[in-house]
Amino acid sequence: MNKATKSSTGARLAADIGGTFTDIASFDEKTGRLLFGKSLSTPTNLVNGIADGVEKAGSQFSDANLFLHGSTVAINTMLERTGAKTALVITEGFKDIYEIGRVNRPDAYNLYFKKHEPLVERALRFEVCERMFAEGVIYKPLVENEVVALAETFKAQNIESAAVLFLHSYRNPIHEVRTKEILEEHCPGMFVSVSHELSQEYREFERCSTVVANSYIGPRVRDYLTGIETRMTESGFEGSFLVVQSTGGLYEAEQAKSECVRMLESGPAAGVIGTKALCDVLGLEDAISFDMGGTTAKSGVIYKGKPLTTGSALIGGYDRALPVQVAMMDIFEVGTGGGSIAVIGQGGSLHVGPESAGASPGPACYGLGGTAPTVTDANLVLGRLAFDRFLGGEMILNVTAAEKAIKEKIAAPLGMSVTEAADGILRIAATTMSYAVKGVSTERGLDAASFTMVAMGGAGPLHASEVAREIGMSQIIVPESPGHFSAFGMLFSDLRYDYVQTCPSRLSDASFEDLEAIYQTMEASGHGAVEKTSVKVSETVVTRAADMRYVGQEHAVTVDLEMHYFAGQDRDGIKSEFDRVHKIRYGTSAPAEKAEIVSLRSAVTGLMQKPPLEEHLARGGGILTAAETGARKIYFSKETGFIDTPSYARTALLAGDKITGPAVIEEHASTTVLFPGDQLEVDGFGNLIIKVGKVSK
Amino acid sequence: MSNSQKYPATDPITTEIIRNGVLAVTEEMKTNLTRTAYNIIIYEALDFTVGIFTPEGETVSIGIGLPMFIRGMSETVKAKIEHFGYDGIKPGDIYVTNDAYLTGSHLNHVTFTLPIFVEGHLVGFSCCMAHWIDIGGTLGGMTTDIYSEGLQLPILKYQSEGVVNNDLEEIIKMNVRMPSRAMGDLRAQVTAVKSGEFRFSELIGRYGKDAVLQSISAIMDHADAASRMRTLSIPDGVYEAESYMDDDGIDIGKPIPIRVKVIVEGDEMTIDLTNVSDQVRGFYNSGVATGHACAQVAFKCITSPTDYPINDGCFRNLKTIVPMGKVVSAIRPAPMRWWMTFPMTVVDTIFKALEPAIPDRVIAGHHADLIVVMFHGINPKTKEFFIGNFGPLGGGWGAKLTEDGQNGVVCINDGDTHNSPNEQIEAKFPVLVESNSLIPDSGGPGKHRGGLGIERIVQARTNVILNTQIDRVHCKPWGLAGGDDATGNSVALRLEGEWKEDFPNAKVLTAQIKEGEAFRLRSGGGGGFGPAIERPAEQVARDVKQGYVSVSKAEQAYGVIINPETYELNVAATEKRRNKMR
Repeated sequence: MNKATKSSTGARLAADIGGTFTDIASFDEKTGRLLFGKSLSTPTNLVNGIADGVEKAGSQFSDANLFLHGSTVAINTMLERTGAKTALVITEGFKDIYEIGRVNRPDAYNLYFKKHEPLVERALRFEVCERMFAEGVIYKPLVENEVVALAETFKAQNIESAAVLFLHSYRNPIHEVRTKEILEEHCPGMFVSVSHELSQEYREFERCSTVVANSYIGPRVRDYLTGIETRMTESGFEGSFLVVQSTGGLYEAEQAKSECVRMLESGPAAGVIGTKALCDVLGLEDAISFDMGGTTAKSGVIYKGKPLTTGSALIGGYDRALPVQVAMMDIFEVGTGGGSIAVIGQGGSLHVGPESAGASPGPACYGLGGTAPTVTDANLVLGRLAFDRFLGGEMILNVTAAEKAIKEKIAAPLGMSVTEAADGILRIAATTMSYAVKGVSTERGLDAASFTMVAMGGAGPLHASEVAREIGMSQIIVPESPGHFSAFGMLFSDLRYDYVQTCPSRLSDASFEDLEAIYQTMEASGHGAVEKTSVKVSETVVTRAADMRYVGQEHAVTVDLEMHYFAGQDRDGIKSEFDRVHKIRYGTSAPAEKAEIVSLRSAVTGLMQKPPLEEHLARGGGILTAAETGARKIYFSKETGFIDTPSYARTALLAGDKITGPAVIEEHASTTVLFPGDQLEVDGFGNLIIKVGKVSK
Repeated sequence: MSNSQKYPATDPITTEIIRNGVLAVTEEMKTNLTRTAYNIIIYEALDFTVGIFTPEGETVSIGIGLPMFIRGMSETVKAKIEHFGYDGIKPGDIYVTNDAYLTGSHLNHVTFTLPIFVEGHLVGFSCCMAHWIDIGGTLGGMTTDIYSEGLQLPILKYQSEGVVNNDLEEIIKMNVRMPSRAMGDLRAQVTAVKSGEFRFSELIGRYGKDAVLQSISAIMDHADAASRMRTLSIPDGVYEAESYMDDDGIDIGKPIPIRVKVIVEGDEMTIDLTNVSDQVRGFYNSGVATGHACAQVAFKCITSPTDYPINDGCFRNLKTIVPMGKVVSAIRPAPMRWWMTFPMTVVDTIFKALEPAIPDRVIAGHHADLIVVMFHGINPKTKEFFIGNFGPLGGGWGAKLTEDGQNGVVCINDGDTHNSPNEQIEAKFPVLVESNSLIPDSGGPGKHRGGLGIERIVQARTNVILNTQIDRVHCKPWGLAGGDDATGNSVALRLEGEWKEDFPNAKVLTAQIKEGEAFRLRSGGGGGFGPAIERPAEQVARDVKQGYVSVSKAEQAYGVIINPETYELNVAATEKRRNKMR
């Protein structure tokens, strides 16, 4: 690790690789300039995409002292099943728990329902004799010879990667530790991952799925990160290489190579971090990010100034999902994006998504061979997108193809005009997204209508006003460069290490000494990890939480606990904090009932210097019409029909500018649509602050 | 009669928005119920239903916890309409009942119904049924009539024009074991029906009463059209099948016949349950709503498995014949506590009947039981009394014309229900799980193999008493189209080091297990589909390599010879063996 580069000057580069585009944000600490670049992701060689983007952002690797990276490589390896040949080593009597899972059948009436498909086939799941009691006391000692014999089997079968799951290893990891030693000794070069290193939380199926996922994607992610490192070193980069985790926190690329499963959702998480940075600057407490791209819309929540996180997530759609039990940003997803396809269903009903035309062939208007009508086609037909300004005019959209697709597939069969059909597609898309956002916020005990929406992604600002109206939200913020927002968000990330330890105990008789000892062990690891990195941190902050429930309950809720509760051994304070959180989340609390602690959580954050948000130039004497780029007919609703709507260049807008809808504001990778009645003002940082007009039918 | 005659047609876009809208309403009701309920049977086992109904009591959209609840709530809404009459239904009312013969299930299922009024007009009903952890009655063991199963609430006004009936609350509190939990669940249900009212009214406020009601008619018409189209594709005919349950828990060893008849004529289907067993003495009865639900569940699986919302339009072309007094249409005072087991086998038997007509849409038999065990004792560490269970064990599902069966998933009564992790159970209760595994060879052999059952062996770390109510030991999950049967469900105890496996059934009541002794549950597999001899030998070899099928079973059932050392397929020997079997 290169410690010589702990300098605070130079450029900071952030690269977010998505399915379609690679986004680059570059911040030059000397000049204070923030630059963006966007290039097509190059699936065969993702590093080339990064290099292109860096070039487009007017920067180069050799200028940078810090390279921050978010990538879909981990999640794609998992979803596309292109990982390593992996074996599972597991406690005797339990090799099938990974296949049995939680036995649920979400698609209840579908006789062709399929459950999750393990990443490791049954023939490669091996049991060894060992067993812990739930208290962490050894019931059967590890029979080491069995592990040695397995190592030989692995060599003979060309196993590339091994995962180890022993029951109750979260209480006592000694057998997992020893097994890892033996495997590494006998199979040098094989990737080995053991469950307690990723999660010290109970639930054997979820922990098993986590460690298997890590081993499965490990070799490929390791090679990918090494490839980028090599390429950057060749280009003269001498700085630190940090990767964004699913929590939005950063960790060293070196650690990402062994704990790959922590970076599954790095891109979307960075978008939420960016939202939080924006909220901090603007003094906003509650916001929902609305990140709409080509295939999906994703949302994260900032509540009382903090992003909501979760201890586990399901990867790959609910029905067949593989769980991953590590800390993550609590992000929810709807299958509606610009590429979502409109189809006519049984009995003449119109549906939009979740099928997507993706980037290839893409919407009909891309002219790349797509013939299915999509949300993007509907936007083009209604004039909300300008055919000649997509991606700053780099891509000309074909209006005729869009009209043809909508007419043939939707309008004609349903006996309506192309305009009505296009309007219908967008209204269905907007209501679908609004129901999803409302639904998941209710689930978290929150009322979405009282939040501010931060719209991002290529399609977010295009649909924000319509979706916000449906939800009843009154304010939208469109940040600078919403199409590059994840890359922007990365620049505001901190080093972060998350720990969890399951140790069930009644709150009324838990020993504070024991709790403190567990927290301190976790936090010592965190401090060690922060110190080991090559980046200078301004401060290291520790936050604690506990998963708690009422005695007899199954579900636990995570309760953030400030340090003073522990210093003061304040049982009552912890209890009432738990009651309060329970009330928010579940609508009820039972102050008279006993509570128990299930797991302790600790996050150690190394705060890094953040780029200051650039003050946006204010309009002095000039006039707003200077930013106008013309006017075109845009359709908003049946009542308005097509109306003359002015368009503005985002780059020409200055602080203090005010625009009343209808209007569109266009920039390189995104278009913001103002509906009639919407009021926009450009704030001091160049953000578009939109007051949403009244809901119209 | 189609509702479309009442309202003019609406445009497909508004219809789709309202379709998503009513789905969102019932989803939100579901969320509000599960997040505010007090007992884990509601928020973990999902033992509930929420729904929006037309002013006539027809289902518009239901958000179900469990598939078998498809019918019961609509029946109770209709009964409430009939009971009070439209003149007696007022804004601010909330009705309640747990009449088991109305809901079709057991007394724990308390159902609340709220009439929704907009500008003085009744526009629909918001409804919520949920399982209360206790409703009184005897604890454990067997019951032989409804009176020993707890408090019965006829159709009553829980709230009348905004005023809560406090007397009713007091009666409930005195009759249940955990009154504070019961009141918590009651409040959660009231919250759920009120949120349904709020969101549905909001939808009407946004789009207008006529547009919403028209769209609902259109949604039902679409469902009807789809359902008829799919029924039309089933060859006309009369299809029959039979199976049986082990016993009713009282007359041990006396099988309970399940005979079904399905008549398909054009775009209509009739499911006749006249020849299903009469009601029984033990607590395995269910009410007529469940008889109808058996038919609807099977029908939906065949005609509209992935269409939502679940609404009564889907069932206009389904007629169910269920005379009263059958085991799935029991009359007072039949005991109903374990209502959920037998109907599952009725559903499976309907699939079996239809196999000759639509082999591509049905499924071979599955393990068809929750396979739950309850164990209780005193925790030696805390000295506290505990009752533990692992949730449903899960078991094998049947194979289909084109696919193998699924290994280890919950039975058809349950949907998105989860088991409890072994680590969690061991941290909570004084037990040690010795193994939790798939059972090789448990899947019925076939051209497509049935799914595997699950085994769990649990050692007691202190003295415990256990109860199981498991059926389908003897009537094994059947194969279809020449496929073989799977293994059945079973219970065994390891007492003083010896396995006791010779129980007459799997209903083991109040068995004592000492520290170090163990119990073993096994769920059945799924039946096979098509003759086993037609399964490609390579697939059998793969199954053997993966350990789903043993070397000996491969030879005996499939005629496939595998080298037990290398797992290599012996092509010549297989051909010889298969020729002999033909």
